[in-house]
Amino acid sequence: MSGRRDHAPTVLVAALSSAFGTGLFGVTDVLVATVRADDMWGQSDAMQIILTIVSAVFIAIAVYVSGVVTVNTVATVVAGRTREIALTRLLGATAGSRRRILAREGLVAGLVGALLGVAVGAGLVIGGTRLAVLAGALPDLDYPALSPLALPLAGLVALTTWVAAWVGTRRVLDVSPIAALAAAGPADGDEVRRRRGRRAVAIVSVALGSLLLVGALVVGMQDASGMLIGVVGGIVSFTGVVIGAVFVVPIVLRGVGALLGRGAAARVGAANATRYPERSSRSTIGLIIGVTLVTTFIVAGSTLGEMIRVKSAATFGSTEPVDGLLAQLMGVFGVLVGYSALIAAVGLVNALTVGVLQRTREFGLLRALGFSRSQVRATVIAEASTLTITAVVCGLVLGILYGWIGANSLFASELGRLAPPVVPWWLVVGVAAVAAVLTIVASLVPARRAAALSPVVALAA
Amino acid sequence: MRLRSVVSMDTIPSDLGLVARVTNLVKTYGVAPTSVTALDGVSLGIRRGEFTAIMGPSGSGKSTLMHIMAGLDTPTSGRVWIGDDEITGMNDRELTLTRRRRVGFVFQSFNLVPTLDVGANIRFPFELDGRTPDAAERAWIDEIVGSLGLADRLRHRPSELSGGQQQRVAIARALASRPALVFADEPTGNLDSRTGREVLRLLASAASQSGQSIAMVTHDPIAASHADRVVVLADGRIVADLPGGTAEEISRAMLEIEARA
Repeated sequence: MSGRRDHAPTVLVAALSSAFGTGLFGVTDVLVATVRADDMWGQSDAMQIILTIVSAVFIAIAVYVSGVVTVNTVATVVAGRTREIALTRLLGATAGSRRRILAREGLVAGLVGALLGVAVGAGLVIGGTRLAVLAGALPDLDYPALSPLALPLAGLVALTTWVAAWVGTRRVLDVSPIAALAAAGPADGDEVRRRRGRRAVAIVSVALGSLLLVGALVVGMQDASGMLIGVVGGIVSFTGVVIGAVFVVPIVLRGVGALLGRGAAARVGAANATRYPERSSRSTIGLIIGVTLVTTFIVAGSTLGEMIRVKSAATFGSTEPVDGLLAQLMGVFGVLVGYSALIAAVGLVNALTVGVLQRTREFGLLRALGFSRSQVRATVIAEASTLTITAVVCGLVLGILYGWIGANSLFASELGRLAPPVVPWWLVVGVAAVAAVLTIVASLVPARRAAALSPVVALAA
Repeated sequence: MRLRSVVSMDTIPSDLGLVARVTNLVKTYGVAPTSVTALDGVSLGIRRGEFTAIMGPSGSGKSTLMHIMAGLDTPTSGRVWIGDDEITGMNDRELTLTRRRRVGFVFQSFNLVPTLDVGANIRFPFELDGRTPDAAERAWIDEIVGSLGLADRLRHRPSELSGGQQQRVAIARALASRPALVFADEPTGNLDSRTGREVLRLLASAASQSGQSIAMVTHDPIAASHADRVVVLADGRIVADLPGGTAEEISRAMLEIEARA
């Protein structure tokens, strides 16, 4: 059977999210322990609750993103095993039993990854604390070795992976036994079937969320409670974006693809990025979520800081130090959320690598018809950059919008007007750099493999 | 008039009216003692404007011969020319450009780029060179598209076409850039017999109109009966070189060869 290596990305993603959770809970425990050491007014309990809730929010985002990534990884595994599944179906296996086997493999991968992540996360916290104590940054206390929340978290990660694997194996049901006999290459599948329900939910969520966001700005002009409406509006509209990504992302992908130029390599690469709309949307949506949230926090922090600066300059003729603190807090939030983008990046790299390997015959055809090795490489790079640029552009646009609304819904009443969004240049440069690095990393292995193919061998594959 | 009257090893193929030529071709796979000899001293010239069928049972080396003649694979020893240019010893880039500009391909299946529509697939050889067809080339493409009955399919994706239609698109692409030589590897292998006949007729007539040569690998005597010349391989050697014939005659010849083996 085509091996366990298929599930390596699933293990990695589960490990990343459980290590993140274990680490965050661990850091919370350490911070609370230091405060509790000389706790006079019992503030350590309140602190523990607040930090745990904040950590839980970031962990939930990471676990959600890793779930999306795993759905995609498993769907790619299914696509790669179509022939094998069809053959077992031909010999009498039911589709349901094939699906259960794959989902069980997903559960095992999730369990292994989750426990691995707990070990790594706990190790990092213990090691980091020891170092900080040695360096004199933390008092020498008896810190807890492992957060009591770590194991339930590992269970949640494994469960999420299982559910994601189950969703990702839906395609198994569509594999007909006769596919084992077909000489045809991978189908040029338009995976998006008519799903009016999904489209309707997406449109309603986005519309309702947008209304709430506008309302947040209107209320925000009067008082700071606009922020609460803004948070609800943000969650509702972004849920709509995530649900409706499969309808919107392909359009952006085509637009970005068209920008890459009209050369044969650019065109084929861009077309490859859009040929499986559902898979491409899932590959990019994790990264869109990550970039959106990072941008939201940083733009909100910067815009708010600028508004406070303008306000205090007008009132006192000087700048209050509070804006620096705020920017730092938002920066920390941005980094914590950015971790989800890292998980999403793993998914993107995997999707591209496996996708290219599954298209061996196609690259063989291109080579036979006269694609040079460098054109093959350029094709893969074009496909990778179409995906990363799309994710980054969508995330930036959404994040700037959300960050701007967030800052204004909170502080426009103090200023008496809406302030324009402040987008730090380093954010844009940083995000562009991430996209570039990701494109290179994601296309490194598949581009080399595709270019090294001998046309005769590839055509026979 | 060239001053070259003696046919020697250095004779360039065009002097002989050939668009492609191989001499003393040997191809072995693996290392002794378990090595397999796919081609064992094959010499063959493909004449200009001729439809040549290369036949033989499975494992006779016919596909290997085509792959080497087309620059897709390299021989263990022997020499290969396309036109007047020797391609043996060319590096990958030169081979790629040779395939792109001077050779057309029709494979048994998986012929078309699935993400491009029919029109883009046909123009693909030009796009690979980073150019668009000029007026004369566009007129030629329109003519092929018309004669292959693809005019109302140009915006379709390959997955929306039947097998026969896909092969016709592949033929249009192979002829579009007017390569001197078109290689066809079992082009009717996946088609029903009526569609297969039609595809072969189109291939033959398109080639004879434009003066392009066709080298078709097949094991099907009916397919081979469309050719002007039938070369038969067995165990890596050429065992017969027939001036075409009916399907019955070719079948009989093939059976005799099998019986002798």
